[in-house]
Amino acid sequence: MRNFAYLLGLFIVILGFVSFDLFTQNKQLERSVFAAQTRDLSAATEKLSTLHSTVEQSLLFQDEKALNNELDSIWRMSSDLRKSVANLPIQPEVQNEWMRYLGRIGDNAKQAAQTGDYENWRNKMTTVAANLHAFAEEWNTATVAFYENDGDMKKWSTNHTTDLSESPFMNVSKQLKTYNETDFPLTASESDYEKKRDLQHIKDEKITKSEAIKKFKNFFPNIDDALVTVTKSSDDAPYPFYHIQYIHGSKIGYADITENGGHLLSFLLERPVKKHPLSHEEILNTAERFMKKVGYSDVKLSESRENHEAWHFVFSRVHGEDEALVYPDSIQVKVAKDNAEILGVNAMEYIQEEKITAQGEVPIDWEEFFSDQVSVEEMKKIYTANKNLQLRKCYEVIARLNNQSNDTFRIVIDAETHEVIKNEKLN
Amino acid sequence: MSLKKIVLFILILSGSFASHTIAFSDQEVQRGAFGDDVVELQARLQYLSFYHGKIDGKFGYGTYWALRNFQEQYGLPVDGIAGQKTKEKLVNNSDFDRAFVHEQINAGNQFTYYGGIPLKDQVKKSGTAAGTGSNKESGKGSNLTDSMQLPPGYSEQDLQILANAVYGEARGEPYEGQVAVAAVILNRLESPEFPDTISEIIFQPLAFTAVADGQIWLTPNERAKQAVLDAINGWDPSENALYYFNPVTATSKWIWSRPQIKQIGEHIFCL
Repeated sequence: MRNFAYLLGLFIVILGFVSFDLFTQNKQLERSVFAAQTRDLSAATEKLSTLHSTVEQSLLFQDEKALNNELDSIWRMSSDLRKSVANLPIQPEVQNEWMRYLGRIGDNAKQAAQTGDYENWRNKMTTVAANLHAFAEEWNTATVAFYENDGDMKKWSTNHTTDLSESPFMNVSKQLKTYNETDFPLTASESDYEKKRDLQHIKDEKITKSEAIKKFKNFFPNIDDALVTVTKSSDDAPYPFYHIQYIHGSKIGYADITENGGHLLSFLLERPVKKHPLSHEEILNTAERFMKKVGYSDVKLSESRENHEAWHFVFSRVHGEDEALVYPDSIQVKVAKDNAEILGVNAMEYIQEEKITAQGEVPIDWEEFFSDQVSVEEMKKIYTANKNLQLRKCYEVIARLNNQSNDTFRIVIDAETHEVIKNEKLN
Repeated sequence: MSLKKIVLFILILSGSFASHTIAFSDQEVQRGAFGDDVVELQARLQYLSFYHGKIDGKFGYGTYWALRNFQEQYGLPVDGIAGQKTKEKLVNNSDFDRAFVHEQINAGNQFTYYGGIPLKDQVKKSGTAAGTGSNKESGKGSNLTDSMQLPPGYSEQDLQILANAVYGEARGEPYEGQVAVAAVILNRLESPEFPDTISEIIFQPLAFTAVADGQIWLTPNERAKQAVLDAINGWDPSENALYYFNPVTATSKWIWSRPQIKQIGEHIFCL
C-alpha cells in the first residue's frame, strides 16, 4: 500500500511536469501565431494606407512616363496587399470582397499602362481614391480592438467563426460589397463569360430523370446495366442538371447531364487498369469513334498526353473555312490504356459554346517578328480568350530556339492586333 | 563439341543478341507518350549526344527535336515518331543499360547517359555535378512511379501539394468527391476573390480543415494523385464550386448561406 502511494505520488509529479511543459509549448506556439497574425494585420493596414496614397498620386500626372511609374507601383502594391489580406484570420466574406476589390484596382492599373487609356483610369480612380480613404478609416475602427486582445488567441479564432452581423467587420464588409459593385461593374465580356459559364444560353427542352438515364445509357452502352442513382442539382445551382452515380462490378463513377437538352457535362469511371497497354493508335481510334458516335463531329484532336493508366486527349471545335481551333470549346477524353475503354469525358466547355464574331486578320512576317536564333516550326489558327475575356482569333506558333537543348515555346499572337496573348515554354 | 554444347552455345549467343535488340516494346513512340519506351528512347538518344535533357520517360519537345535530328542524320524519314525502323537504327547504333538507367530513375537520382563516359561518373551525388550535358541540376528528382505528365502551366509540386490536400480533406470520399475537392482549389485559382497560387490557396488561414489539423502532411495515395490529375486535366464534378463543407460538422452559419450546387459523399459543394 505504501509502495503504491509512493508510485502514485511520483506519477502525479511527473504528470505535472509533462503538463506544465506542454502548456508552455502551447503558449509559445500561440504567441508565435498571434505575433504572425498581428504582423499581417499591421502590414495590411500600412499597405492599405500606401495604396491609397499611390492611387491619389497617380491622378497628379498627365506625363506618360510618370503615370506609368505610379501604375506599376499600384499593380505591385495591390498584389502585395492581396497576399497580406489572404493571411488574415477574418470572415471569408470580408476577405473575398477585399481581395476582389484589390484585384480590380491592380488589373485596371495594368490595363491602363498597357492600353494607354489614362482618361478611363482617371475617371475610375477619382472615386476609388475617395472610397479607399473611407474604407481605411472604417478598417482602422474595425481592427483597433484587435491590438487590445492581450495575446488571447481565442479572441482571434472566434472572430473567424463569429456571425458577420455581430462582428466589428460588418461595416467594412458592406462598404467593400458596394465599392465592388459601383466602382468596377462587370464589363460586357465579363458578363458574357458569366452567362456562358452558367449555361444561360441553353434553351433546349427540359428532360426528365428517366430520359437522363436513357441518355446516359446511350452514351455508354458498355455500362448500360449498371446500378444507377440519380439526384437533381440543388435549387440554387446556376444551371440545373442530373447527377447520375453508378456501380457496375468493379466500375464506379458518375455522369452529369443538363436538364435543358440532356447534354453530357462530364463523366468519370474509376476501375483498376491492367498493365499491358494497347497501342496509341488503337486508343486514339477508340476516342475518335466515341466522339463521332455521341455527335461531337465538329472537333479535331489538339492535345494528347499519356500517363500510367490512361491517355488524356483534348479535342477542340473547328470553326470557319480555315478550320481554326476554338480552344475554349474543347472536350477532354480519358481512355484506359489496357482496353481503350472511355474512362472520362468532360464536355462542359464544349456545351458552353463561344459566340464567334467576325475579326480582321493581318499576316505576320515571322522572320521579322522573331529573332534570328528562332525557328518557327508550326503555325495554326486558333480562337482563345485574351486578358479581357474577349474571344480573339490568333496565330499559335510553336517556335524553337536554336540552342543545344532546343528550347521550345508556344506563342499565341492576336491575328489582327499582333498582341502577344500567351508565351509559354513547352517541355 | 557435343550437340548439347552446340545448342547451349546458340542459346547463349541468341540470348545476348536478344538482350541487345529486343528492348523497346512493339509500340510506336511519339510526342505525348510516357513510360519505359520513352526512357529507353531518351537514353539511347543521349548516348549518341542527340538528347541533352533529363531522362524522365516523358516524350516532350526536347525528345521530339532530338529524335528528328537523329532521323535526319541517319537517313530515316523525319517524322519525330519512333517507329520500327527508327528503333532498330537506334538499337544498332547505341547501347542501353536498362538496369542502370532504371536504378537511377527509381532512386530519384540526377544522372546522364552519354556514350564514352563511365556510367559511375554520370550519376550525380548530392551537391556535385555529373555528365557533360547542360542539365546539371543537383539533388534528387522524382522517380517515374511518382511522376506524371501534366498540362502546361502545372508543375510536379502543384500535383504533390494538391494530392496532399485532397488526401487530407477527402480520402474517405468517393473518387468523384476527391476530384471535386481538387477542382474547387483550381476554381479558386481562377477567381479574383482568392490568392493567385495553389499553395497560397491551400494554406490560406482556416480555409481547409486538413491544414488546421495537420492531416495535409499525410502521404497521399495513388488514388488521390489520380483524382488531382483528372482535375488538372479539366474535370470538375463540383460544377464550378468555390466551397464545400460537411453538413454534419460545419459550424459556420455563413457557409450555409452560400448557393448550393450538389452533394457528393459527405460534402456539399457550393458557390
